[in-house]
Amino acid sequence: MSGFSQVVRGQAVERPPYPRSPLRYGFIPILMFAHGCAGIQSTLEPTGAEARQIATLFWVMVIGGSVVWLAVIGTLLYAARWKGEPHSAQSAGRLILWGGAIFPAVVLMALLAYALWLMPSLRPQSGEPPSAPLRIEVTGEQFWWRVSYRSKNHEASIASANEIRLPLGQRVEFVLKSSDVIHSFWIPSLGGKMDMIPGRTNRLSLLATKVGIFRGPCAEYCGTSHTLMAFYAMVMDPAAFDIWLEAQSQPSEELASDGKLRFISNGCGSCHTVHGTEATGTLGPDLTHLGSRESLAAGILPNTEEAIRRFIADPDVIKPGSKMPAFRMLPEDDLQAIASYLKGLK
Amino acid sequence: MFVRWWHMVLVLVVAPLAVILFAWIGFFNVGASTGHWKITEWFLHFAMQSAVRTYALSVEVPDELPRAGVQPAAAHFTTGCAICHGAPGEPRSPVVKRMLPQPPDLTTVVDKWSDEELFRIVKHGVRFTGMPAWPTQARDDEIWAMVAFLRELPSLDPQQYRKLAYGSTGLPSAQHSGFERALADCVRCHETNGAGRSALTPIIDGQSEAYLLESLRAYAEGSRASGFMTQAAANVDTDDLERLARYFAAQSPPALERAPTSHAASRGREIAERGLSARRVPACLGCHGGSAHNPAYPKLWGQRADYIEAQLRLFREGKRSGTAYSHLMLNAAKKLTDEDIRAVATYFAAQASRSTMTTR
Repeated sequence: MSGFSQVVRGQAVERPPYPRSPLRYGFIPILMFAHGCAGIQSTLEPTGAEARQIATLFWVMVIGGSVVWLAVIGTLLYAARWKGEPHSAQSAGRLILWGGAIFPAVVLMALLAYALWLMPSLRPQSGEPPSAPLRIEVTGEQFWWRVSYRSKNHEASIASANEIRLPLGQRVEFVLKSSDVIHSFWIPSLGGKMDMIPGRTNRLSLLATKVGIFRGPCAEYCGTSHTLMAFYAMVMDPAAFDIWLEAQSQPSEELASDGKLRFISNGCGSCHTVHGTEATGTLGPDLTHLGSRESLAAGILPNTEEAIRRFIADPDVIKPGSKMPAFRMLPEDDLQAIASYLKGLK
Repeated sequence: MFVRWWHMVLVLVVAPLAVILFAWIGFFNVGASTGHWKITEWFLHFAMQSAVRTYALSVEVPDELPRAGVQPAAAHFTTGCAICHGAPGEPRSPVVKRMLPQPPDLTTVVDKWSDEELFRIVKHGVRFTGMPAWPTQARDDEIWAMVAFLRELPSLDPQQYRKLAYGSTGLPSAQHSGFERALADCVRCHETNGAGRSALTPIIDGQSEAYLLESLRAYAEGSRASGFMTQAAANVDTDDLERLARYFAAQSPPALERAPTSHAASRGREIAERGLSARRVPACLGCHGGSAHNPAYPKLWGQRADYIEAQLRLFREGKRSGTAYSHLMLNAAKKLTDEDIRAVATYFAAQASRSTMTTR
């Protein structure tokens, strides 16, 4: 911004007292960062109805703001360079009335009306009966996401973690909670953000308009590993989504492995659930179908056997402040077998 | 005469040098044979008694001294304390009596101290005397057990004392070395079958061998805090520790009577089976139950409630260590209330004997 205004001033005034700043081309490297405005975590490249509305609101603001800004600067330059007779008090008074009171009031009213008009779809009232056929409850925990799907096709809710899948072109209602501190749920490409507040239930409604994988970060500082708390949101073709959700409601395919025995015998089931086994703990993420998830440890590791092994051994190193105790004392065989068992849970 | 600056120099520099010179020449007699001057002795005692009285102000006395701990404390007293202080039927040796200061015969002096003061002395020892601190600063429960024993001490006759300290035979071990000697030492508290003689002593018969061995090692090297057990395990050979673990693991526990289920036990069962998700307490049985579990996790079925309770409190306070797996319990126990701990302990204690449970 500073580089830009320097250039404008240089052109307009053309007088030497303004030294040529070595920073005058500083905006060029800044433009290079604009590359970051695209991609799987961008509000400027919307792939959902809500994000689209917010992006439109953003551009209206940016362009409108730029026009107002140019008008103000133009008036300023005009006033500074005017060499003729002073304007009459009456015409100056008119300018102040129209430019200083009526114009801003109209613009602000219009913006307010526009934003209020957007509100209902972005901020569904709580307590309202579920309007969407699919409701996804997401609970923020230090430092991961508890996810539970409620679909009209399924009686029971379907538990998952650290990944959200939604069908293309269908409205999905998110029920957002927190179990410990304030987190914030945000999928920039699709919509949000919405805080997750302990003891409260917030709601958000999203409609995805493009198939793809998008990323969501925790958008409210929540502790030591706040930056290591993210997830992937995958927008799927509705038919594929239904098949996937149906598969999620079933236990994982049993692979003959003694990794399962070691998983149980070392007590992993006290905190984690794997459907269809003795493991029914609910303190940590549900691990049924872990192997089929896009990422590991809330969006921070690739979902590979090696990464699973590493996380079991050193969760406190990979994710400081994690509630999971380290299992680096397990024999290498056990770590390997458990990692391979979990990776096999597709 | 005025005090001038060089007078100060004389005092601050020369006087300490003179003291060092005096010590270096070596005329100061550090021998114990002649005793202290009367005034030195009075001053040292006066300072010691005052310090104990003052520091004891911050000691919180439990509502009731843990009488269940009298037996293990007596057994520890035999190996740790009696050598200097003597015991009923075992007077102090002539050698000990020439220590300076002379360790008192406790039967005659414990009444002069309050419970807080005894606790303070036992826990921290006394500087400039032969009185050592407790082997660990993390086990106030053991120190209170010792205080409870000391309160009993003056009224014990030799026979009663020996029964407490040496086990049912009432005789010190005739073994002098090796595994038999080490086992005889264990048996004084744990009995030949590992059932344990007091409510605070764990039942170790039929316990997992891996867990017993790791625990013994941790006691021996002091990483699991216990004055009683460190004293007992520290001087045992590594090989003998393995044999001891094997020995007790192989004992079959006597059938325990199933206690009638109580309210506490049913709440304990709830915690054991499901945990307390609101307070992030995982289910105990995820590790301590089920069809198969890691042998490093102790078996808790039929364990004594008082022992489980004491250990859970230590975990909650972050003072319990042991096997390489013990840190798993720190988070698990952190949020337990006193009632939860009591309930869980009652539940496990009320379960049928371990031998009937399937293990891997």
